[in-house]
Amino acid sequence: MRDFRKTLMVAMGTTAITVGLFAGPLGVAAQDDAWQGVDDGTTVTMWTRAATQARSQALVDAYNASHQNQIELTVVPTDDYQAVVGAAAGSNSLPDLFSADVVFMPNWTSQGLFTDITDKIASLPFIDQVGPAHIDASTWDGKKYGLPFVIDLSVWMYNKELFRQAGLDPEKPPTTLAEFDAAARAVDALGGDINGTFFGGSCGGCNVFTWWPISWADGEPVMNPEGTESYLNSETMRTIYSTFRALHEDGITAPGTQEEQGPTWTGFFPQGNIGIMPMPASLQGMANDNLKDEDIGVTQIAGINGGQSTFVGGDSIGISRDSKVADQAWSFLAWMLGDEAQVEVVAKGGNVVARTDLADNQYSSADPRLVLFNSVAGVGETPFALNFGQTYNDPQGPWLVLLYDALFGDASLIDADNDAINDSLQP
Amino acid sequence: MTTSGAVGRMPFYVLTGGLAVIFLFPLVWSAVASISPAGATGQTHGYGLGNYATLFDFGAGLPRFFLNSVIVSVLTVTITLVVSLFGGYAFARFEFPGKELLFLVTLAILMVPYATLLIPLYVLLNAIGLQNSLIGLSLVLAMYQLPFAMFMMRISFEAVPRELEDAALVDGCGSFAALRRILLPAVVPGLITVGLFAFLAAWNDFFAPLILISDPSQAPLPLAIATLRQQTMGAIDYGATEAGVVVMALPCVLLFLLLQRYYVRGFMSGAVKG
Amino acid sequence: MTAASRRTGGPSSTARLSLRRSRQLQGIAYATPTIVLVAVFFILPLLLVGRMSVSDWSLLSGDRGINFPDNFAEITPNRLFWPAVVFTIEYTLLVTVLLVGLGLGLALLVQEGGRYVGGLRTIFLLPVAVGLASASLLFWGLYSPSIGPIGPVLQQMGLTSEPISFLGTPLAALLSTTFLIVWKFAGLYMLILLVGLQAIPREVYEAAAVDGASRSQTLRRITLPLLRPSLALALILCITGSLLAFDQFFILTKGGPNNSTVTVVQLIYREAFQRQNLGTAAALSIIVLIVLLALNVVQFRGLRSPDKA
Repeated sequence: MRDFRKTLMVAMGTTAITVGLFAGPLGVAAQDDAWQGVDDGTTVTMWTRAATQARSQALVDAYNASHQNQIELTVVPTDDYQAVVGAAAGSNSLPDLFSADVVFMPNWTSQGLFTDITDKIASLPFIDQVGPAHIDASTWDGKKYGLPFVIDLSVWMYNKELFRQAGLDPEKPPTTLAEFDAAARAVDALGGDINGTFFGGSCGGCNVFTWWPISWADGEPVMNPEGTESYLNSETMRTIYSTFRALHEDGITAPGTQEEQGPTWTGFFPQGNIGIMPMPASLQGMANDNLKDEDIGVTQIAGINGGQSTFVGGDSIGISRDSKVADQAWSFLAWMLGDEAQVEVVAKGGNVVARTDLADNQYSSADPRLVLFNSVAGVGETPFALNFGQTYNDPQGPWLVLLYDALFGDASLIDADNDAINDSLQP
Repeated sequence: MTTSGAVGRMPFYVLTGGLAVIFLFPLVWSAVASISPAGATGQTHGYGLGNYATLFDFGAGLPRFFLNSVIVSVLTVTITLVVSLFGGYAFARFEFPGKELLFLVTLAILMVPYATLLIPLYVLLNAIGLQNSLIGLSLVLAMYQLPFAMFMMRISFEAVPRELEDAALVDGCGSFAALRRILLPAVVPGLITVGLFAFLAAWNDFFAPLILISDPSQAPLPLAIATLRQQTMGAIDYGATEAGVVVMALPCVLLFLLLQRYYVRGFMSGAVKG
Repeated sequence: MTAASRRTGGPSSTARLSLRRSRQLQGIAYATPTIVLVAVFFILPLLLVGRMSVSDWSLLSGDRGINFPDNFAEITPNRLFWPAVVFTIEYTLLVTVLLVGLGLGLALLVQEGGRYVGGLRTIFLLPVAVGLASASLLFWGLYSPSIGPIGPVLQQMGLTSEPISFLGTPLAALLSTTFLIVWKFAGLYMLILLVGLQAIPREVYEAAAVDGASRSQTLRRITLPLLRPSLALALILCITGSLLAFDQFFILTKGGPNNSTVTVVQLIYREAFQRQNLGTAAALSIIVLIVLLALNVVQFRGLRSPDKA
């Protein structure tokens, strides 16, 4: 009897130890893999908009090279993105993954276009180090639907060589709107092909991205927090409009400013004959024969009275509600926020990373401009409005009408135009 | 009458020659531009086919878009021909209740604007499972061809003397055999006209695919080339766009040159009646 | 075939009756594909758009119930509506005058026979074969500041000093698009009017020549009146087509600059897919349908000219 009990206890003990030995690490290993999704050679369809194509493409290419799953990326013209996604949603033909301008997320999450990934997000080991702005914008009714994909911040970029020629100190960029104005005019005085600045005069989305931070830097909001009331006729905004109106009327802006609808507004600075202009915070592919890398200077967008801010924009990404390969699609999302993707693809390409713990990586610390990009994200904002797209991005929307009157037409109509914006913001 | 001789005709030749140049210029230019060097395109230095190469790389690739257009056009032509062949036969040779009403309703399709029907068709195709499909698109395009096609086939059949098939019918031939053996060969010119119009309409349509096709890999050429323009931020590839125009226009131009008299025929039948 | 009917009508009439029935059924059988296609893809959507126009129908969430007359009430307050109507009408008038006029001119030029003239006709008709979207994309490149040839040529000739902006101002955008449309469709209207011209018997012209009528008198007093049916057809086609313009503006200007080239159909598209509201889009398209129907009825009445010979 005693032998039996002893044997039993030894057996149980051995079993317990064995189970503990194997279940322990194995259990952890099983948990380790689950958060990464499934990589089994599935083809995953993905849409993204043209505005962020270079960075999306870089991530997709790197993923495809290192995984069995293959992502089929389709790039949709920026202006058409809302309409194309809407048409696909209405006919149940959304792709597996699609990115969304972060300002469209409230509209699309509230309409149920994405799969709920709250649990999957929670399972990411580094979730606490992912910048919250995009996830917050992709949260609806307590459920999370999106992750940050491309972080697009707005900064002022200036041509150091042209600054030198104009007698400006290339290491002392403007710190107020007035200094921006002065710098632009100084560079423009160089004459010839050189122009002080540029902006997209017929592009609603561009000027949201580049001018709202000036107001934020002064502590002036442009909308109420619920996104139902517009302050775009405030004194601060009017000063901004009149500054750029004067720049245009005085010929400081490059030709094509008034007509630019958006597709080419970022193509001017790299041509090397613009003094200073707001640009997305990315150095990817910018340097070329006409603009040497060491001549690209960056600084934060400043307000009328100083201060700094930025538009924390870019794209969020989620798994569509129509997707039948959610786990495989998730494999891409988990990977692209991981260390390797964020450092070797995003940071190496000269872009802002989504992980706060990786902001100080080997590539960004080597380049003070990237350090600046990463730091300014902390002082920026992402505006919220349910009807953001149809108000501010739509080429026929009311924001563009206000812009046109303020910059090129009858500026006394600004208040009436702002009323139209208010109407459009109502849910 | 004008003065005889070439001198009096000079203004005529100058004017028409000038007009011909203006009409031909854009087409010739687009072909030249598609192989010319230009910045921010696939063909930056020298002449060559770089822009066409861009088309192969874009999205699902040129062969896929071309195939989509071919499928849509062939399907639309086939459906239109079959429906209007049988329908024209029915209207021209048979009496049945509701015949004229059906004909009027078919013609009424001309009265309804394109956009008015596309919105509900978008919902309808979704409901019957044909959304985002080339066959659904083809059925819609065939429907839009019906007024012209039915009118054309009806008068084609009516132009054939009844004696021809009456002889066969008396001999015990069924109506289908009469159609196949006697009437069909007689209405072939009408069928070619209908087919040509249907092909040109289907190949070139933009608005219907814009609304009814969401999957970019299912897009026919016009939609694909229009989308291609804004691929990368900061640059528009005009060269590739013109290459796309050439690819789209060439089949139409060739087909038109080949079958021009059938095209003209289409107007002769209806135009005078107004 | 009962014994009773046999007794009353006789074998031949019964046979005739059954033949007639059989022919009717066959006719219906041949007409069946037409019936199906028309019923499913024309009648059904027409009924559906009526239902949608009185419903709160969202693009993404679907039918949410009847809301008549909200959709219609929202049409006129839309700040884009009246400018779009005005622009569409302006554009229609401009294009119709130019197209029908040019079509007539071309038809008069090519009405005789001969290989040169035949070649001309083909050349004028070529743009018609090319699609509207293709032509719009073609001109988009032609008008572009990057590869467009017109600006550089004019600059080299010393006629202009600055690059020409074909699509940069409202007037330029309207005229540039009009030129595209006239180029594309002039051959079509030439053809319609040519057919009408060729239907006029030579004797009429000869009689006029005998009477000593000048060319312009012949044109005005004889040709044009006899061309009336073809002209009416050309006008109907052109007006209807222009009122429904979409492709060329969507591709060339996207409604710009500053919403100056927004057409009514473009508003329908915007309502449906940008504002995600199929109900208001349907309501707007019903309005367009009614207007066009009324217009067609008026034009058809006008076609029945009182002095039709």
